[in-house]
Amino acid sequence: MRVPLTWLREYVDVQLTPEQLAERLTLLGMEVQGIEQWGADWRSVVVGELLTVEKHPYADRLHVTTVNIGSGEPLHIVCGAHNIAPGQRVPVALPGAVLPGDRRIERTEKMGIASEGMLCSGDELHITADAEGILILPAEAPLGRQLSDLYGDTVLDVDVKPNRGDALCLIGLAREVAAATGAALRWPEIAVEETGRPVGERLRVDVREPELCTRFVGRWVSGAAIGPSPDWVQMRLQTAGMRPINNVVDASNYVMLELGKPTHTFDGAAVHEGTIIVRRAVRGERLETLDHVKRELTEDTLIIADPQGPIGIAGVMGGAESEIGDHTTEIAIESAIFDPVSIRRTGHRYALRSEASLRFEKGQEFRLARIGADRVTQLTLAWAGGSVAKGRIDTAPAEPDPSRLAFRPRRVSKLLGAEVTAAEQRELLRRVGIETEEAATAQQIQVAVDPKPLAVPAGEDQVLVATVPTWRRDLAIEADLAEEIARVRGYESTPAHLPDTLMPAYRPSSLRVREMLRETLAGAGLTEVVTHALVSSLDEARLVWPEDTSEPAMLGNLAAQSGDEIVVTNPLSAQHSVLRRHLAASLLDVLSLNERQGRGDVAVFEIGKGYARVDDAPREWTRLAFLMSGAAEPASWNRTARPYDLDDAKGIVELLCQRLGLPAPSYVPDSRGFPFHPGRALVARAEEGPTALSGRIAEMHPDLLARWDLRAQRVIVAELASPALDAAVPARVRVEPMPRFPEVERDLAVIVAESHTAAEVEATIRRHGGALLRGLRLFDLYRGAPLAATEKSLAYRLVLGARDRTLTEAEVDAAVAGVRSGLESEIGAHLRT
Amino acid sequence: MDFESLSADLRALQQRALDEASAAPDPESLELLQIRYLSKKGEITTVLRGIGALPPGDRPRVGAIANGVSEAVKAALGRREAELHAEVQTLRLASERVDVTLPGRPRARGTLHPIPETAACIAEVFGQFGFVVYEGPEVEDDLTNFQMLNIPPDHPARDLWDTLYVDIPGHLLRTHTSPGQIRVMQSTRPPIRALLPGRCFRYEAVDASHGFEFFQVEGLMVDEGTSLADLKGLLDEFAHALFGPRKTRFRPGYYPFTEPSVAFDVECLVCGGVGCPACSRTGWMTILGAGMVHPVVLQYGGIDPERYQGFAFGMGVERIANLRHAVPDLRYYLENDLRFLEQFR
Ligand SMILES: [Zn+2]
Repeated sequence: MRVPLTWLREYVDVQLTPEQLAERLTLLGMEVQGIEQWGADWRSVVVGELLTVEKHPYADRLHVTTVNIGSGEPLHIVCGAHNIAPGQRVPVALPGAVLPGDRRIERTEKMGIASEGMLCSGDELHITADAEGILILPAEAPLGRQLSDLYGDTVLDVDVKPNRGDALCLIGLAREVAAATGAALRWPEIAVEETGRPVGERLRVDVREPELCTRFVGRWVSGAAIGPSPDWVQMRLQTAGMRPINNVVDASNYVMLELGKPTHTFDGAAVHEGTIIVRRAVRGERLETLDHVKRELTEDTLIIADPQGPIGIAGVMGGAESEIGDHTTEIAIESAIFDPVSIRRTGHRYALRSEASLRFEKGQEFRLARIGADRVTQLTLAWAGGSVAKGRIDTAPAEPDPSRLAFRPRRVSKLLGAEVTAAEQRELLRRVGIETEEAATAQQIQVAVDPKPLAVPAGEDQVLVATVPTWRRDLAIEADLAEEIARVRGYESTPAHLPDTLMPAYRPSSLRVREMLRETLAGAGLTEVVTHALVSSLDEARLVWPEDTSEPAMLGNLAAQSGDEIVVTNPLSAQHSVLRRHLAASLLDVLSLNERQGRGDVAVFEIGKGYARVDDAPREWTRLAFLMSGAAEPASWNRTARPYDLDDAKGIVELLCQRLGLPAPSYVPDSRGFPFHPGRALVARAEEGPTALSGRIAEMHPDLLARWDLRAQRVIVAELASPALDAAVPARVRVEPMPRFPEVERDLAVIVAESHTAAEVEATIRRHGGALLRGLRLFDLYRGAPLAATEKSLAYRLVLGARDRTLTEAEVDAAVAGVRSGLESEIGAHLRT
Repeated sequence: MDFESLSADLRALQQRALDEASAAPDPESLELLQIRYLSKKGEITTVLRGIGALPPGDRPRVGAIANGVSEAVKAALGRREAELHAEVQTLRLASERVDVTLPGRPRARGTLHPIPETAACIAEVFGQFGFVVYEGPEVEDDLTNFQMLNIPPDHPARDLWDTLYVDIPGHLLRTHTSPGQIRVMQSTRPPIRALLPGRCFRYEAVDASHGFEFFQVEGLMVDEGTSLADLKGLLDEFAHALFGPRKTRFRPGYYPFTEPSVAFDVECLVCGGVGCPACSRTGWMTILGAGMVHPVVLQYGGIDPERYQGFAFGMGVERIANLRHAVPDLRYYLENDLRFLEQFR
């Protein structure tokens, strides 16, 4: 809310500088987000007096004037306005002046006559709404003075929180200033001179929805003359950020800013039979609102109507037909209290939220309906003339007493962690208008209210009863009073104290394992990325990453990590409209972005979530994905470049398994083809214990790279699942004693048909090696002469040994022979030693 | 043959052997000299064959001289061998000289993203004060995200959170990590010290300081006497841990789920409190919101608000990371341009 300080000072004395005031308000919870110098953009605009005004010799529509600016020779200025006459004081923009909107004023020539500056309209200065005539200043405006000295202001931009609707006005903020400084609050004098016939002869009000309109106060003014408001009113409204319209509408807006009471003024002639009906709209009813949009009204909309139909949407916006116009003379004034929820829903439904509806939504002090009606009537009369009908229509004239709230000073101290005596608490509350007294009878303490009310007996503690001012609708429970006490006392005086109560039980952190894996991956050369969870539905369709359900074995003991896409029903853009199920597409996007920045060597990983719906319930799981493309080892003066390949990705997965205390993963080929390279895709699995890991590793299909417009020739992507990513603790290492007897190494070159995979060969060796085979490592892979084209040779180093003895030559030979015959008989291998 | 001529022969032999040893050009010629003089068929042995012709009294004296000659030759050969070795080694080392100022063989190392790193850093600080990590779902229900946090439907405070809704009835993308408070309270008993990091979503157009996906860390502490003073003490420690010794400020804030509510500021990291555009000329930067858990929220968590009280705080991870690393634009984080990420070495 914009708060012009000159206006604020009408209600409270302020001795502080704007900066000091801003700080005090901020520390009181009324955060000042900015301090603006109003009029700072009227540079070199001074008060001048018109000496002569004559017709321009060559242009009918222009005048040539001489202007005295208090010093030096009078200036000759050409001007197009018609409201000027000698003797008037006017704002003069001197050559070199800069007006709002960065408009520069220079010495010019207009139709052959030199012009040494410009006379300004209110609109050009953003002071009033008048763009036609020159702004005529009061006769006592001192000649030559900078206009900003006279009409400049300081405007505080105060962020009033949603619970403090009462402070969304000058009076409300003046109350806060008074609380902060101890100064007295000055209410405007509100008195209405009633000279007309009784209001009942002009206006009838029929509230048919008393739940939604708890009070309606109506007044009537006859014989008003519509025109611009006085300049000072327009200036105030402009400074506060509201555009002046006419004297009657301005009176309504002025009261909204002054008292926080939105009211509405109707052209009385357009209110048929002088009858206002507050009701719900009927299906099919239409209304053209003030913004000249024709709206179809829904049945749950609360409207203001006359016997012929709607004339306004209650609390949100009036109708165009009953708008105050130039020829209006009869004015019906509405000052009502509407149900906040109904107003809020209506504002949302029509995407129409006004300054008025924002205030209604936050709830209104009940008595403001009466006070607001009187104040608008008073100002209308003052600014537009006419006569006021006698009395007011009031559908609920009984104003409730302030509510009373019991609290325990000791409990307040305990919440704040500071000893504040009951006497101090009472004094602090008094500063914000809350009177207190000792409880005379046993009291219930309101600990919580809706939506989960709780009241408890006060018990042994001292109890005070606070009388809550009617405007403080936010104070309903004991803790609310604690906050009042704390903020008036100053949060700064809260002592700082480190918690010394019991610690919670140990709990393993999900971050710890992730941190370990992240460090491992970074150490292995991959850079971490964090990408959007919301993706384009096209992205997922474009990728067709296979569903994990098609490979039930792959999931091991993991819960199903699949389901239907979760769709955002109000997305910001199609680009980010569904929750991703896989991370792979996001990583391809990262590669694409970096390729466009000229980066071809990309190795990135992400630990993030996948999301899906299963039976209308959301499901989330954590994944680890990585992507490699370009050079694994970029060329250097001491090394030639080496591109990333599938083996690098498998090496990373093997490294992760090591970090998680898992056995080496097993690999199963996946030759489905698109989106994978049909010969370079696999499912990896290391299933043991709570940290089991499984997932896919694949070089992507060239057609997929084309879909992503990637330049890279080869892109390897892996996406892995493991409970370790969600706080499962990796298996503990169990140490085996070092072997006491020497182990023996034997090398075997296994020549097999290409159709047999390395995994098969290795499994066969392990099966036949028995307990003596303590280690196995593939150290060479050979194809070519003298082997047949359909063959390959895999060279393994076997480590043989026993825990309890040194193996004899014969034992070793027997073991190797067993492996050899197993390989020969089971996969048709032949061997070279 | 007599003693005199025999010993003269030996001395001559010694001299010759020593001369030849010191002149030997390489280890191979040393090998030959070794054989020629010192082997069983070597010249010293040959000379000693004449010892039988000497009177028995002279024989030991000749033997001693011969031993001396043998030792001297052996020593000379050894010396020369060492010399030759040193020469060869010096030459080899000289030939192996490299330009040590050349750069090394690069080791690929990736970098860690500042968002999880900052979250981990925050968790580390609060971990020292006994806060343990929980994580809640990102697709939340309206009840937990709003209603149980004392934000009923159609409450004006809902304007503080522009929400993205999903096609599962009653569900939305959580707008903050605060629903985690409810989940923690429902799953454990006081004393509670919980930390909830995670991704959040809002219906918000993207610019340099806003995004529709962002990260928060929520904290919750509940016990019998947990007070605003505890909150202040803890937040002071936190600010000092992350931003070094600088002033902090505690002022009223507003959240429906805390009462009293707090905004926590640190002295501007750019201007040090004098006032600059970065801090809107106030000298302060707000780093988080906090407050005493509202009794309604405690009740929804299954905790008796008459017996227990507690505080909660929530902060934007990007905000903290921005301040720590002077990141000028929020969009950098989810864009993943390697030129940005690789700066976090
Ligand atoms: Zn600053």
